[in-house]
Amino acid sequence: MENRSPSLREKVKQLRRTFVDKLPGTLAEARRLCDLLVRVPSDDSTLDDLYRTFHSIKGTAASFGLLEISAEGAGGEQLVLQLQGLEGGSRGQQLSALLPGFQQRLERLEELWKLARQADESNSSPESPSFDLGKEGAKAASKKLFICDDDEAQAEILAAQLSCFGYGVTIFTSPDSMRAALLVAPPDAVIMDIVFPGGVNGTDVVANLHREMRAPPPVVFVSSRRDFEPRLRAVQAGGEAYFPKPVKAIELVEILDSLTLGQEPEPFRVLVVDDEPEVAAYHSFILEQVGMTTRLLHEPATILDVLAEFKPDLVLMDMYMPTCTGRDLSRLIRQVPEFISLPIVFLSSETNKVKQVSALRVGAEGFLTKPIQPEDLISAVAIRAERMRTLRSLMVRDSLTGLFNHTFMSQFLETSLASARRDDGMLCFVMIDVDHFKQVNDTYGHPAGDQVLVALARLLQQRLRNSDMVGRYGGEEFAVILQDIGTDEASRIVDDLRADFAKVRFTAGDGDFSCTFSAGIAGYPGKAQADLLLESADQALYVAKKSGRNQVQVAP
Amino acid sequence: MKILVVDDDALAGEMTAAVLEDAGYGIVLAENAIEAMEKLNDEAGIALIVSDMNMPMVSGIDLFRDLREQGVDIPFILLTGDAPGPLKAAEPRLDDCLTKDFTLETSLIQSINAVMARRA
Repeated sequence: MENRSPSLREKVKQLRRTFVDKLPGTLAEARRLCDLLVRVPSDDSTLDDLYRTFHSIKGTAASFGLLEISAEGAGGEQLVLQLQGLEGGSRGQQLSALLPGFQQRLERLEELWKLARQADESNSSPESPSFDLGKEGAKAASKKLFICDDDEAQAEILAAQLSCFGYGVTIFTSPDSMRAALLVAPPDAVIMDIVFPGGVNGTDVVANLHREMRAPPPVVFVSSRRDFEPRLRAVQAGGEAYFPKPVKAIELVEILDSLTLGQEPEPFRVLVVDDEPEVAAYHSFILEQVGMTTRLLHEPATILDVLAEFKPDLVLMDMYMPTCTGRDLSRLIRQVPEFISLPIVFLSSETNKVKQVSALRVGAEGFLTKPIQPEDLISAVAIRAERMRTLRSLMVRDSLTGLFNHTFMSQFLETSLASARRDDGMLCFVMIDVDHFKQVNDTYGHPAGDQVLVALARLLQQRLRNSDMVGRYGGEEFAVILQDIGTDEASRIVDDLRADFAKVRFTAGDGDFSCTFSAGIAGYPGKAQADLLLESADQALYVAKKSGRNQVQVAP
Repeated sequence: MKILVVDDDALAGEMTAAVLEDAGYGIVLAENAIEAMEKLNDEAGIALIVSDMNMPMVSGIDLFRDLREQGVDIPFILLTGDAPGPLKAAEPRLDDCLTKDFTLETSLIQSINAVMARRA
């Protein structure tokens, strides 16, 4: 085999890349050594190893001109030096004082690693599309994907498609470099090729990861083989799905969505109403320990405002409070149509069955007796909150796309407008309509049309912020409510989405096609009423259609 | 001319080797002092040693001292992540001591030229 020796520049670049690829592994090792040292502070050899790890980061990074990384390595090295020459006991003390310093260095190194990695990547693939919404809290930023495939060109095509759906993709061409990066900062999911050069098998790599990590990220395998054997091995290795190449991005996204959503469900939101702050704090502490979000309320008079603003999945309420009883308060809540199905659970030292039943009669979901075991409280709350969510989603969501339905969007627009008025805020209402949708259905069939709707729904949902509401208004029409932004920014955001949507390839039969959408935007306070917003956005959409489609128009 | 490069960090060793290879030198790699000794015995014609300072078990400077003790007088350049001053002071017999940084490409070649000229 011909093996030309690369020029020094190239070789150094390669080595630099290898160093960057390996850095996560090195950092993981440093973390391991720190942990080890905390357990046995007197172990000199661990200390020496830790010293060398930092020292080598400092030295090697400097050789490659990665000065910031080198500086952090030097910082870590200095910390280790402060421990050298100390005896076991005092070293232990000093170590616990220095531990935050170590943590900080390692975290900073991880950040720098990401930057170095990005720099490497943008050097190698300058055209990779940008998928940064540029907004804090954009959901896009939270979905990280690793693709491990030795065919870099194909991986990049796939990455470009996935990025349209808000996934931040990092490509690795070797399982080793991916493993190293994964151990340090696991992504939300991994797309893994099966056959690598040198007889390395993707399924083995993943099987090993499952042994090494407590909670490895979900893995989707892709392979050019369509037969049974690799599929079986993929399942045995713990793969969540298997796609024969060429992979259709749109199908992959569907699986990835469900995998990555499953990982981070929205925490349950619980409103704890109790006139005794300590008791309320105790209950909320128990619930927050298991990841729920709570809000405390001591003053029943403000409950309607808090409900509207905090939007709890469940209310946990003390039965007896000085100003009013829980019974009265829940009746009051039930009189507001919006909260008619909100689960309310009473918490009281009341053991009198008759009184308990009378509480249930006003629509309480359950009755818990104080003092309650933490586990019982958690399960009682979780079960009811979950049920509430399912029910609510059935009521307010469109069955094809999972987006909010027309009724809910109209309601939500009113609520958002009310709060924008109160806070002197802004909001935008966006109407989106798929261009020539009838033609898609007629040419490629309804399944293809549904595919387009689902894809657009995903794109909107993933790329917008949690505070933005996305709904299917009917047919091929979608509505978006963007909170706290003006029409200029809204127009920029929607136009980015438009450009990305146009890039998505859909498959139908043997061929593929792409689709575009037009959008109309109207903003509050320019348009002060809900019906005016709707009408103006609709007119702007009409203008966009008339002016040639595939564009975004803002109502004058 | 053949140069023995000693570094426990394979990547750093490769980096040094790349620089030297590019300058036309033949390279022998060793990962630690023991292996360095072996390579010195096995490979004929090693004319210079470039060693990292910080290695497990036997450090670069200890390797240097062992070699001199055994009467091996091959020119020895020590690479370190730290400032070279204190090491040079501690071991004045070193032919040179250089900081590993990204000027190594030029500084190492210059140093080798200077060392070989002095020795010749």
